[in-house]
Amino acid sequence: MSATLVPVAPPKTLRELFMGFFWIGARSFGGVMPWAYRTMVEERRWLTHADFTETIGLCQFLPGPNIGNASIVLGKRWFGLAGSVVAFLGLMALPFIWVLALFIVYSDLSSNATLKAVVTGVGAAGAGLFIGTAVKLGRPLAKKPAALALIAACFLLVAVARVSLLMVVPIGLGVAVFAARRGWL
Amino acid sequence: MSLVELGLYFALLSLVSVGGLPSVMPEMQRFVVDVKGWLTPADFIQAFAVGQAAPGPNVLIASLIGWKVGGLPGAFVALGSICFPAAVIAWWVAELWDRFKDSPWRKAIQRAIAPIVVGMILSGGVVLATPGSPDWRLWLIAGLAAAGMLATKLNPLWLLGAGAALGALLL
Repeated sequence: MSATLVPVAPPKTLRELFMGFFWIGARSFGGVMPWAYRTMVEERRWLTHADFTETIGLCQFLPGPNIGNASIVLGKRWFGLAGSVVAFLGLMALPFIWVLALFIVYSDLSSNATLKAVVTGVGAAGAGLFIGTAVKLGRPLAKKPAALALIAACFLLVAVARVSLLMVVPIGLGVAVFAARRGWL
Repeated sequence: MSLVELGLYFALLSLVSVGGLPSVMPEMQRFVVDVKGWLTPADFIQAFAVGQAAPGPNVLIASLIGWKVGGLPGAFVALGSICFPAAVIAWWVAELWDRFKDSPWRKAIQRAIAPIVVGMILSGGVVLATPGSPDWRLWLIAGLAAAGMLATKLNPLWLLGAGAALGALLL
């Protein structure tokens, strides 16, 4: 660490918290996480790298959008309930308007066949990014047969048999916790 | 009426959305397209595409589905109900989680969630790439995007852009 860096300190006011998360949302083309890191760890220095990683690690397996959870958890840590609300609204405000505006423009033009093909292509590529993400997250599990069996079972139930997640998640988690306690995962 | 139904269902989904929005995409599609018929399969993949291309958390795709079902109120209801229950859990659990740092249960839960999340995100990708009947062109685009993501460190926007170009050529 160079000596010129400002020391790590949490935001001092709710306004500062709001603006930080607003700025994350405003710039987050192509994924929010890298911008969250840049804003909170590198630019505003609210958090250390280790603290950021740990917080995101927790948020990744809580239900809900990861970065949304991070805004709730960090907002609470710094300002309590008001902080959670302010950080969440700051994060969502601009992207919410953006996405609706883009969708309205698109809906007006969607009778155009080429545009429809382009957007469907983007959708298929987005689906591919999910598959890539699953492979990335699944790699560390590849040597554990119980983990592979759980992944396969989830996939067959959800994607092939189209069973509701409201059934699959609670039952799957129950089985997985059992397997983990036995040391299979 | 459909907004109340949408809100309640998304609130339930919020509770099982471990791994974030990608995990619940197959279920959203099943509910709003297959069960309710509020959106066509083509509507759904296009709403998803716009949500992916726009900046911001990808949970905003929920607001586009809400918009299709019930305009601006629908957008607010969908986004609020997919976020709120999970936000309440995050609010309560964050401290609890620190307190149980060394508990064997915490470690078991952490290890248990990983394969479930992987299975659901994988399902999400496959379901989204198969909006109606199976179409090799969509699978090709999805496969290339997945390969591009794993083989390079490109900003995902480039991969979505490549998908747009391939869509214009093939579809």
